[in-house]
Amino acid sequence: MAAKFPPKCPPQGDHPLLEKVKQTFGGAVLNHGVTPEGHLCVLVPPDKIRDVAAAVKNMGFDHVLSLSAVDYAAEGRFMVTYIFASYLTPELRSQLLHIRAEIPRDNPKIASIADIYPSADYEERECHEMFGIWFEGNPHMGKRFILDPDCCVDEKTGKPLYPLRKDYKVPDWGLTG
Amino acid sequence: MSQALREFLLKKAKLESLFKWGVRWSLWPVHLVTSCCGVEVAHTSGPGFDAERWGVLPFHTMRQSNVLLVEGTITRKMAKVLKQVYEQMPEPKYVIAMGACAVRGGLFWNSYHVVQVDTVVPVDVYISGCPPTPEAVIRAFMMVHNKIKGKPGPYVEPVKVDLTPFLPPPPKPPAKPAPQQAQQAPAA
Repeated sequence: MAAKFPPKCPPQGDHPLLEKVKQTFGGAVLNHGVTPEGHLCVLVPPDKIRDVAAAVKNMGFDHVLSLSAVDYAAEGRFMVTYIFASYLTPELRSQLLHIRAEIPRDNPKIASIADIYPSADYEERECHEMFGIWFEGNPHMGKRFILDPDCCVDEKTGKPLYPLRKDYKVPDWGLTG
Repeated sequence: MSQALREFLLKKAKLESLFKWGVRWSLWPVHLVTSCCGVEVAHTSGPGFDAERWGVLPFHTMRQSNVLLVEGTITRKMAKVLKQVYEQMPEPKYVIAMGACAVRGGLFWNSYHVVQVDTVVPVDVYISGCPPTPEAVIRAFMMVHNKIKGKPGPYVEPVKVDLTPFLPPPPKPPAKPAPQQAQQAPAA
């Protein structure tokens, strides 16, 4: 499955990071693109995300700047987006590396990278709370992290609702009139 | 002060006007800064606007102050803190909801996690704006003054200045044409 990147992210063969990424990732690169800011986006299969994270750590990126997800509700998939950055490697300080992985929307599970990158722990917990993505291996899955325990709960079944999904309906608390 | 002594002072000794006067000029707000409106309150208390001229002294604990100034978005978790802070304040106490977020939700009006302030505590004065200017904050304290005096509302006396000696004289209205000539012209 070669996902389509947004039209603002065309592939660019002579990006300075691309050769090194293709060498270190092995065959895990499904597709790539370059954002308007000049950062490299790489699409990887979701079952290899731990290998990819270890390879990225070997390249010199030492922390996860951001970890989030995009809900493509009509196409039935989530795109989990990791952004890696570096403080300690001087030649990588001007670069951000975007890693994306697509998972199905009806069974959103992906391996956790919180033991490789400890800065991804809070981001994974928030992403789980907002989108319902289950990061396998993170011990805090299934708990509330930021949200109020009373809100975003289905009143009939008692199951948690995920407020940043496209099909979430904001309850009428008198604010909308 | 016991309740009996308080009633004696207010009813028998007729010190209620003195009591109101004292409350009016010592409105000490406790800040509940949850958003960027706190910057404007810093300007309000700073030397540029200097709200302490009206007795508005920013204070750091809620147990010694009598105005709760809600500056910004109140989420569902922060609403519990707001309720606790309001219940710890001594009587008489007043609540000012500052900014669009506190009044109506503001930018986050259809959010899953934002509540209005007046669904949690009773609000005396609303200030609109995103964020409101320091003049608007001072004006809100004037509205609290008016509420203590017994005539609530944004009553501000305009400053009247007579500028007529410094202005050019108004232009004279153009002379109207005589109506009889206008009637005679189409007839001829």
